[in-house]
Amino acid sequence: MTPVPATVGPLRAVLAELDAGAPTLDDVARRTGLDRDVVAAAVHQLVRLRRVTSSVLATTCTDGGCGTCPAGNGCDAHGAPAPAGSRPVLVSLTVRRRPGA
Amino acid sequence: MATTSAGPVTRDRAAAARPSVPSCHGDAGGEVVRDGRPVVALAGSPNVGKSSLFNAVTGARRTVGNWAGTSVEVGTGAWRAGVLDVAVVDLPGAYSLDPLSPDEELTRDLLVRADPAERPDLVVVVVSATDLARTLYLAAQVLEHPLRVVLAMTMGDVAARRGIRVDTDALAAALGVPVVAVDPRRGTVTGLAEVVRTALAARQPVAAPPADAPAAAAGSPEVVTGDAFDDEELAAADRRFAVVARAVAAATHRSGTARTDWSDRVDRVATHPVAGPVVFLAVMWAVFQLTTRVAAPVQDALDGLLSGPVSGGLRAVLGAVGLGGSWVEGLLVDGLVAGVGMLLTFVPLMAIMFCLLAILEDSGYLARAAVVTDRLMRAVGLPGRAFLPLVVGFGCNVPAVSATRVLPNARQRLLTVLLVPFTSCSARLTVYVLVSSAFFGKHAGDVVFGMYVLSIVLIIGAGLLLRSTLLRAMGTEDLVLDLPRYQLPMPRLLAAVTWMRLSAFLRTAGGIIVATVVLVWALSAVQVTSGRDAEPVQGSAYGQLATAAAPVFSPAGFGDWHATGALLVGFVAKEAVVSSWAQTYATQEPGDLHRPGGLGASLRADFERSSGGHVTPAVLAFLVFLLGYTPCVATLAAQRREIGRRWTMIGVGLQFALAWTVAVAVFQVGRLIP
Repeated sequence: MTPVPATVGPLRAVLAELDAGAPTLDDVARRTGLDRDVVAAAVHQLVRLRRVTSSVLATTCTDGGCGTCPAGNGCDAHGAPAPAGSRPVLVSLTVRRRPGA
Repeated sequence: MATTSAGPVTRDRAAAARPSVPSCHGDAGGEVVRDGRPVVALAGSPNVGKSSLFNAVTGARRTVGNWAGTSVEVGTGAWRAGVLDVAVVDLPGAYSLDPLSPDEELTRDLLVRADPAERPDLVVVVVSATDLARTLYLAAQVLEHPLRVVLAMTMGDVAARRGIRVDTDALAAALGVPVVAVDPRRGTVTGLAEVVRTALAARQPVAAPPADAPAAAAGSPEVVTGDAFDDEELAAADRRFAVVARAVAAATHRSGTARTDWSDRVDRVATHPVAGPVVFLAVMWAVFQLTTRVAAPVQDALDGLLSGPVSGGLRAVLGAVGLGGSWVEGLLVDGLVAGVGMLLTFVPLMAIMFCLLAILEDSGYLARAAVVTDRLMRAVGLPGRAFLPLVVGFGCNVPAVSATRVLPNARQRLLTVLLVPFTSCSARLTVYVLVSSAFFGKHAGDVVFGMYVLSIVLIIGAGLLLRSTLLRAMGTEDLVLDLPRYQLPMPRLLAAVTWMRLSAFLRTAGGIIVATVVLVWALSAVQVTSGRDAEPVQGSAYGQLATAAAPVFSPAGFGDWHATGALLVGFVAKEAVVSSWAQTYATQEPGDLHRPGGLGASLRADFERSSGGHVTPAVLAFLVFLLGYTPCVATLAAQRREIGRRWTMIGVGLQFALAWTVAVAVFQVGRLIP
């Protein structure tokens, strides 16, 4: 494993890679040389610090077919369908731009 | 530094807001009675096994109640740690000492904001071997304060099964505090008791913070506000993470046979820029092959049952009660039984399809498909996050339109709403299957798969068209995805999801079909011509409306009133297309539907006639048009709600123009191919 860069700590290294457009956390781990679990923990902390927003994405509609959801029933407050279960969940992360940044 | 849901709390505010620390001398449940015994606090992140440890060390000698002045539940109890009796406090779960919830706030207050005399004599920070980095953050933060600290590591057995071994000695060396592996579920906590007793007896009052740890901040009087606060907060967290990362690197050993390696190897292919889309297409091809091939025999059997014995039986019953040949028989047998019965024949197909998609979803593969889709969308300059509503659209366009609200940019939202109708919803699948089964036999699955590929092509094409014309000024936004691990699907969950989707489909589709069947039947019953037409239904209001619109589709090879009528009904809802065919063909030639395959034969005859013998390109053109034009009125209503009437109408025009153009191109080019 590549050592953590001395000049930038792991949290800011992860933030920089997210900002640079790394598509997945595995890519962030590869680019920073950090353990994948450390990257996940760093993202968790960045979300807590409000530097990154995190939202669960459902890839299919739980209500199923077309006619089944004429009024968007089963969608959450943002209009996104609720995930089908508590199992694999896709999470999107977006770096929050600070005013003036 | 503290943060609350209302934003960061500056240090002076934090100091002003410092609570009077709940008395440890009360007798309410959840409080500690200081009777000379040392007080040991258990702290740790949620779900780390902290309460299991609390239960294991206290046994029955414990109480749980709200801490005074709060609604936060805290457990207290007595623990005989070796030869020493101690009072134990099970603090609320907290990821850090910068609270985001009342639970975390109380933990922070009791550990670092209370008067020194009221603070615990020792803090056991519980960390999980399965999630070491995340759970160590709190430990790193606690170590910045003048507290005696011991680390208890749980879930070592679970981590070992995942190929992860955590060296507690190395972890202790990296952090400078004792670390003990515990297994509270099996009652293995004696090692912790000894370490706690030793630490309490030691003259060294507190653990020395790591050399590069940030200075403890809670209670500091200086004022830090705005960006400086944010930067300092990030810098402090960053320094803690450096401690965490070093400790994890020093103490964690992964075996080569870890399950995550298998998952990573699969992901290298499944999310590869080139191989990923190929895998995605192959998987979806397999889904449609399985769906059509497995369902086909069952579907045929159901069709035979409904159009034979059920329809015949109902005719016989109606005949016996004197209603034979009446409008009642027409409505019930040729309308409802034919229309709703046709829907029922699709139940096995939809069940298989929903089950296969649930398997893909529950295994974690669909998340990888989202990565592939996302990358493709970025490549053509579409907003990355738009993949979500578009993927949802393959189930149903209506919630997909609503799901565009996840997009923060108004123009991105507009573009995506306009593209959603090109995603091929499951209602269109019924038409694909019926038509492709009737015309393409064993290649039906390939044709259905091709329609989904075409759907993606249309999305990309329409997106590029809109971005180069109406929606030129639009930024893009990066998206990072946190992929779940692969896992074996759970049969119980698969069954539940499949049933939920299937029953919901049948419930609403059934309602739509009954309503449209009655409407089509009524329009078919009203004769507006004097019998000049070759078929009785063609002379009805329904037939004449369809006949008037049919020439529009002549260049595409399906300018027949049956096909046009189905498309008019499909404007309302695609679920009703097949039933309207079943109904009008049954009314026109009742005998035809009394045997399996009758509808297919009628369709073949009409396409043969309308296409001048070029049946295959005409059928493909019909399917292309069906895919591309307005999905249903419910989608229009959702679009109007999101983007207004003007853009909705622009979208309808775009869909019709694109669908018609591509359909005509397919037919005109196809007829040239021998």
